[in-house]
Parts: sequence; structure tokens; C-alpha cells
Amino acid sequence: MKITYIAADGTETEVNAREGDSVMQAAIANDIDGIIGECGGSMMCATCHCYVDDAWVEKTGPQHDGESDMLDCAASEVKPTSRLSCQIKLTEELDGLVVHLPEAQI
Amino acid sequence: MPVETANLAPVDETITLRDLHFDPYPIYRRLRAEAPVMRVKAAGRTFLTKAADTKFVKDTPEIFSSNDPNTPMKPAFQAHTLMRKDGAEHMAERMAMAPALMPKTIQEVWQPLYRDLVGQYLDRLPRGEVVDLHKELSAPIAARILAHILGIPEASDEQMIFWSQALIDGAGNFGWEPGPFAVSDHANLEMNALLEKAVERVRANPDRSALSVMVNAENPIPMSQIVANIKIAIGGGINEPRDALSTIVFGLLTEPEQLAETRRTGKWGAAFEEGVRWVAPIQASSRLVTEDVEIRGCLIPKGDTVMTIQASANHDEDLFEHPERFDVFRAKNPHQAFGSGPHHCAGTHVARRTVGAVMLGMLFERFPGMTLPDPSVVEWRGFGFRGPINLPVVLN
Repeated sequence: MKITYIAADGTETEVNAREGDSVMQAAIANDIDGIIGECGGSMMCATCHCYVDDAWVEKTGPQHDGESDMLDCAASEVKPTSRLSCQIKLTEELDGLVVHLPEAQI
Repeated sequence: MPVETANLAPVDETITLRDLHFDPYPIYRRLRAEAPVMRVKAAGRTFLTKAADTKFVKDTPEIFSSNDPNTPMKPAFQAHTLMRKDGAEHMAERMAMAPALMPKTIQEVWQPLYRDLVGQYLDRLPRGEVVDLHKELSAPIAARILAHILGIPEASDEQMIFWSQALIDGAGNFGWEPGPFAVSDHANLEMNALLEKAVERVRANPDRSALSVMVNAENPIPMSQIVANIKIAIGGGINEPRDALSTIVFGLLTEPEQLAETRRTGKWGAAFEEGVRWVAPIQASSRLVTEDVEIRGCLIPKGDTVMTIQASANHDEDLFEHPERFDVFRAKNPHQAFGSGPHHCAGTHVARRTVGAVMLGMLFERFPGMTLPDPSVVEWRGFGFRGPINLPVVLN
């Protein structure tokens, strides 16, 4: 399946991702700058912050329990579309997902 | 995984704790190349020295548990602390303190205060003569800002530093000698007395300190754990920023071109990240293995204790070119100095936003002619925690 990461400067990178991985894991596996994921997906560091593209917000669903508390720790502005990318699990219906990356993660 | 067919990891009987204390990096380089899963007899632990393995362990708490109540940490802290818990219990105690440590609070409260404090501490430093920056700046400023963040500003720098070291020495007292516990008992008495009064103060006058947010929470965690959390933060919140600062300053002063470029570009944050990668203040952590598991073809049996060597992960040739060199301008720096997983360092944001974002710039702006006359006199120590133990500079 495909995911597109759009960096803060507009650079788009489309990658092949594995179903079952998180959007954070797919970014790390594909060397995407702009996602750090320092705590490995435990919702402890807020360095995998992303903005889900408006067209995909419904499919990615709401923030998980505890996610908004940790998003308060994000380095860049938190918007209604903000998610921790470690909390978005890739399912079939997310094939083609587009996420935007913030200016900074730390 | 076909665990039943795997062999136990090889055993090393040559490495000594003394070697690790003085200079572990050549040992780790050899282990990464020859035996990245190695039972080190002197430590009684299985060492994991590759970045992928240390991260796997930290990110898999279901198999690699922090919950080990039978370590010297319990008598040292007179409590079973969150450092040695897993799951919901760990999370509840950690999140109780989190509001005081989050970026918004740091930016609004602690950063402005830290800036003032740094100014005062820099004012006291003498110019034109040799001064031990480690002792005169790195340690006391780490103690001072921590006292404020925790909500115990009445504690002196000397008290904070003494308590911190007493707790660390007690927690590391794997020989179960009476001496270190006697010292940590004394420190506990002093901390308990001070905390009793501080709790009353923050009840009457709430602020944004860790003590206040825990005491005044809608559903507070038990007082015993509030006290334990404060002690964990004292034990774990001074040596790391102290050692990070001294390490980074050493790195920059011994790489003048990098210092000039960092100054020109203002990339103090990158200098901070590189310093904690280069010599991680917390070098190693332990996890208890709760089920048989295989790593790189080696069986790690249930009941074993593994040691993740972050220091080595941060020098892993798979991730870093010339890892032994301090290099602020690395394209990527995926270090594990703050750990990973549920126990990812709770002080990360504070460290980055004080030492990294404030201190380095202020220090080099105040003393642009700072020199390290003889780098060879700087001594480095530590296996669990590591950094320089002196930093004799001349300020100008």
C-alpha cells in the first residue's frame, strides 16, 4: 500500500508501506525526514506528530486515549487534524493516505 | 521464533567493571563486531550492543520488563518506584508528573526562569583563571533548575547534589554493602523532612511545579508515590544534564571549526543532540526477561537480565559514520540517549529546552574566548552513567 508524506516545505514522498505498520513505522522504514518517533510508538515523546490530510481525516478516525495529552508536548502547532503518527495503524482502507509533516519535531 | 533450537549467548570472562568504568567504548566496538549479544560475567548481565536490539528491547515491555522490585533501588529510594514498574501502574505515576515537564509549561515557566538563573550562575564565574566548569556551573545549575521544576526551591544546590548522588550510589549498590544505604537513608530523612513542608506550601499556594501538580491533582496518586516520584527526579535529573553540558562543551572546545560553525548558524540544538549521542549520560539500562526469546540467534532465557547499552547503540556503525567523533553536523542523528518505549526519558523536553536551547548559546555568548588549555587532563568516568568529572577551562 502507498502513503504520501508531504514535508513542511512542500516536498512530497510516496512510499510503499506494510499493512499493520503504523504511519510512524512506515516513515522510519522509508527514511522520511521529519518523523523521528524517538519513543518507538509508546506515546511518550511526541516526535512523530503529523497532520492528516483533510480528505483522510474521517478514515484515520479520532485521536486515541492519551494521545491529545501527548500532542500537547509537540514542538509544532497542534491543529484539529494533528495526530501522533505512531497511533495510526495502516489498514487496507488507508491505502493512498496523505499526511503532512510539521516544521519541527523537537 | 524457533527458540528451542537456539544456543545461549557466548560468555565473556575478560571484561571487568573497572574497564567499563574507565573506557567502555573500545569494548563495545569489539562486542558490536564480534558478539553483539554477550553474557558479561563481571556484570551478571547479557549485554546488547547493537542499536536495533536495544531499541527492540525497550519497545517490547511485554517481554522485557522493568518490574524488578528486588534491586537495590528499593532500599535506596525506600520505595518501589515507577522506574521499576510496567503498564498502567507506571503510566499513572508518570503522567501525574507530566504537566510540569511538558513543553508548554517549560516555555511559559521554566525557560524564562532558567535564563535568569543561568545569567546569575555565569556572573559568579571568574575570568582569566582556570575554573572547573563541571563543578562550578554544570552541576549547580542542573540542581537549581531541577529544584524549581520539582517544587522544592528551598533545597540548596549542595543538598540536591548530595541527595542525587546518595540515591544513585544506593541504587547502584548491587553488592548490597551497608555503607551506601546508610548514606541514602540519611538523604531520605532530609528529603522527607523538606517534602513534608513543601507539600503544605503547594497545597496552600499551588504552582506549576511537579510537586504541586501531583499534590493538587483531581485524583492524586498516593502520597508515598508522589514522594517517590520526586526522589526519582532528584536521582535522575541532575547528573544527566550536568554530564550532557560538560560533554558538549568539551566537544565544542576540542572541535573549534565546529564551534565556529555552530555559533554562526545557531545550531545549539544539534550540538546538544550530538553531545548526548557521543557520550550518553545514561549509558546502560536493565530489563528482566519474562519469556524465552531469541536475539541474533541467541536464546535469552526467561529470568535472565539483559542490559541495553545505549552508549553502544549510539556508536553503532550501522547508523553512524565515524561514530567515535563528535560531529555536530551529522545529516541524521537517531540516537537513543533518551531511551525508547514507555520509559522514554520524562525529562527529555526539559533537557532539550534548557541545556540545548538556552545554556549553550548563553555560555558561549558570554565567554566567546573560552578555552580548554589541556584537554588531556579531562577525565571521563562511568559505566551506568558517564561523563567528564572535571572540565578546567579559562573564561574570557
